[in-house]
Amino acid sequence: MKNVRIWFSKTDECKYISHLDLNRVMLRAVRRAQLPIWYTEGFNPHPFVTFPLPISLGISGLRECMDIRILDDNFNIKEISDKMNPYLPMGIRVFDATEPVYDPKYITYARYNAEISSEQVSSEVLRESIYNILKKDELIIQKKSKAGMKDVDMLPYVKAFEFNDDLNNLSFTVTLPAGNTKNIGLPLVLKAIEKDLEIEIDYKITKLDMFTEEMKPFA
Amino acid sequence: MILLYSPDVEKILLKVQKPGRYTGGELNAVIKDKEKVEIRFAFCFPDTYEIGMSHLGMKILYSQFNSYDHIWCERVFAPWTDMEALMRERNIPLYALESGDPLTEFDFIGFTLQYELSYTNVLNMLSLAGIPLLSKDRTELNNIVVAGGTCTSNPEPLADFVDIFFIGEGEEVDLEVMELYREYKKQGKNKKEFLIAASKIEGVYVPSLYDVEYNEDGTIKSFTALEGAPQRVSKRIMMDLDSTYYPDTFVVPLVEIVHDRAISEIFRGCIRGCRFCQAGFLNRPVREKSPDNILNQCRTLCDRTGYDEISLSSLSSSDYSDIVGLLETLTQWSDKSGVSLSLPSLRVDGFTDDIMNKIKTVRKSGLTFAPEAGTQRLRDAINKNVFEDELLKTCHTAFAGGWTNIKLYFMIGLPTETMEDVEGIANLGQAVVNEFYRTEGRAKGRGVNVTVSASSFVPKPHTPFQWEAQDSIDTIHEKQKHLKESIRTKKISFNYHAADTSYLEGIFARGDRKLCKVMLKAAERGFHFDGWNDCFDFAAWMEIFDECGIDPDFYTTRKRSLDEILPWDFLDYGVCKNFLLSEREKAYRSVTTPNCREKCSACGAAKYKGGICFEKC
Repeated sequence: MKNVRIWFSKTDECKYISHLDLNRVMLRAVRRAQLPIWYTEGFNPHPFVTFPLPISLGISGLRECMDIRILDDNFNIKEISDKMNPYLPMGIRVFDATEPVYDPKYITYARYNAEISSEQVSSEVLRESIYNILKKDELIIQKKSKAGMKDVDMLPYVKAFEFNDDLNNLSFTVTLPAGNTKNIGLPLVLKAIEKDLEIEIDYKITKLDMFTEEMKPFA
Repeated sequence: MILLYSPDVEKILLKVQKPGRYTGGELNAVIKDKEKVEIRFAFCFPDTYEIGMSHLGMKILYSQFNSYDHIWCERVFAPWTDMEALMRERNIPLYALESGDPLTEFDFIGFTLQYELSYTNVLNMLSLAGIPLLSKDRTELNNIVVAGGTCTSNPEPLADFVDIFFIGEGEEVDLEVMELYREYKKQGKNKKEFLIAASKIEGVYVPSLYDVEYNEDGTIKSFTALEGAPQRVSKRIMMDLDSTYYPDTFVVPLVEIVHDRAISEIFRGCIRGCRFCQAGFLNRPVREKSPDNILNQCRTLCDRTGYDEISLSSLSSSDYSDIVGLLETLTQWSDKSGVSLSLPSLRVDGFTDDIMNKIKTVRKSGLTFAPEAGTQRLRDAINKNVFEDELLKTCHTAFAGGWTNIKLYFMIGLPTETMEDVEGIANLGQAVVNEFYRTEGRAKGRGVNVTVSASSFVPKPHTPFQWEAQDSIDTIHEKQKHLKESIRTKKISFNYHAADTSYLEGIFARGDRKLCKVMLKAAERGFHFDGWNDCFDFAAWMEIFDECGIDPDFYTTRKRSLDEILPWDFLDYGVCKNFLLSEREKAYRSVTTPNCREKCSACGAAKYKGGICFEKC
């Protein structure tokens, strides 16, 4: 038996499905692809799959991954994408399968790209307003946690925005804490900005990649 | 990849619940080049995505229409209230999921009518698409609004809105009408000419070609066909199910839906003839699919969709003539491929050890049976042909097999019902509880839970009870209260349907054309999702009836006289009126009628020259 990490993208219409729905879609494809996969041994056996870092509804992911266990050590895992893709919607494409290098707990950061705009203000004003926020001491928003609501300062994350120069298509990239220990969602950062500026921001977020604590690409 | 829904839609998707319902892009969804097709058909289900996507009829016709190169059939569902509000606010017209195009771009806008309380959604969906609601206001030969499904057995409450109703099964008649459209379009004919020609196709009802006159008391005086349309419209029916089109794949939804599994239809019709059951009369005679065909369809469907669960669909699964043989064949395949079989619609007398052992692999979620009435007298009156000892024996089998949850479905408000019959429901529930504690080998350490569920009876057209008075809301409340008080154990959980919902359902079920103005007012006021508690507003409905000067009791609590012209009398479903009358009279005497397999009772359906009527005994 060997562990296999399946790499896929989740974009277009498929970014609108929840993690639970994604799980169901992937399970059906794994089953139909007839991969020699390990089944759980409980009362209701099902193919064993886990997602190292589940992606939120509404965010596109270019390099998502899912772990499975293959029973047959001689099985050529490079065939997995060809076997699974016919059973997946076009918005989800498997592009590779590898043997895991890192345990999922080593995921520490995720890198995102976000296109933002607002119907209320121009892109230029929007960018300026965000720059102005940086002069503040803090940017507090309430975040749901297991212990209830707690205040979190979003300012360090806004500081990390790297804007492009194209005002027709305002966008930025940012690297945020991700994983089990600390996880900051980009929509929450944007919500803090919306609240502060009192405008509504339309956004398209793409998760580009995941990294370890040493900023090595998660593999 | 180019996204098919518009950027305007994209902007609101993150603001609504379960946006995956509004994007399309599912596995097996059919995408065609709109420049290369001749007919675009928008198949509209007047309820949410989760409900519509579970509906077998839609899956069959979607795949069948799309099997023709010149037709592109797409799916449309009613957006939930949050999505609708945003679409209206931003002027986004209702669009089809495959192309993202608004409904105005379609040749046909087809609705399936499964439930009377979805009628407002039909009108609301047209309004969301910016299409005129009234048939007479749509003058061009495009955007033809058609409707099929169970409820077209009394199409009159929607007569002013729908151009063409399909009566009976759609596999042939829908295509014939589309073919006629294609021809007439080429010849440059107008809508009126098309409708007149369509009315001559069997199974087509064009309401605008009929004139209805009323008596002073509001009953129908005359119903006259115009322009050469047939005076009687006959249903269409597929007599050989093995050669009838059945999809080899389903669209597999990205989000969870109500019935998220493959479905194999094993037969149409029902041998039983329960007197309250409309489906049992509309779908005569019984026609079965062969076991080989069923096995092939199950196998192909599971292969192409990735589903690991398949359910066998019919009105009463255990009445398939060789159900044990069929299950044997199917389980040989399903065990090997890790597919689980489910067998809904089991009769009380159909749950045998044999069947139980075959479906044992299925999770023990609970079993549901429908005795329908609490006493033998009333069960005989409705021709349910189920006995208390059979029910107890069945429950015994189930309890011994490890089940601890049993659901029992009943109706209250059935014709001839007394308070004694209502109490009988509680007694029967109690008897099932007692049976559990008498069963040796029952699941240890777990109690039993019997759910007694009581819906309110709504008399339906084309049944022996079509002339009956429906119980008033007050009477139903009284009976519900009495039943609740008659239940004396915590092992029984009791739930019941809201009486006012059934009352509204009753109005439209046996309504006539005068109700169109009520429907129109309801649409103008933005009524939708009346079948959902979140949206149903009974008082608002009654206000509309009041404004229109229509007494709803005329349609519900009024017992019809036998010589009255009923609004649906012109429809021929193969069962003759004399048979319905004799069944009605037998109900009053609590006399049962044997099922079609035991003995032919000459209902009239033999005229279709096939199915069970010609099976060798």
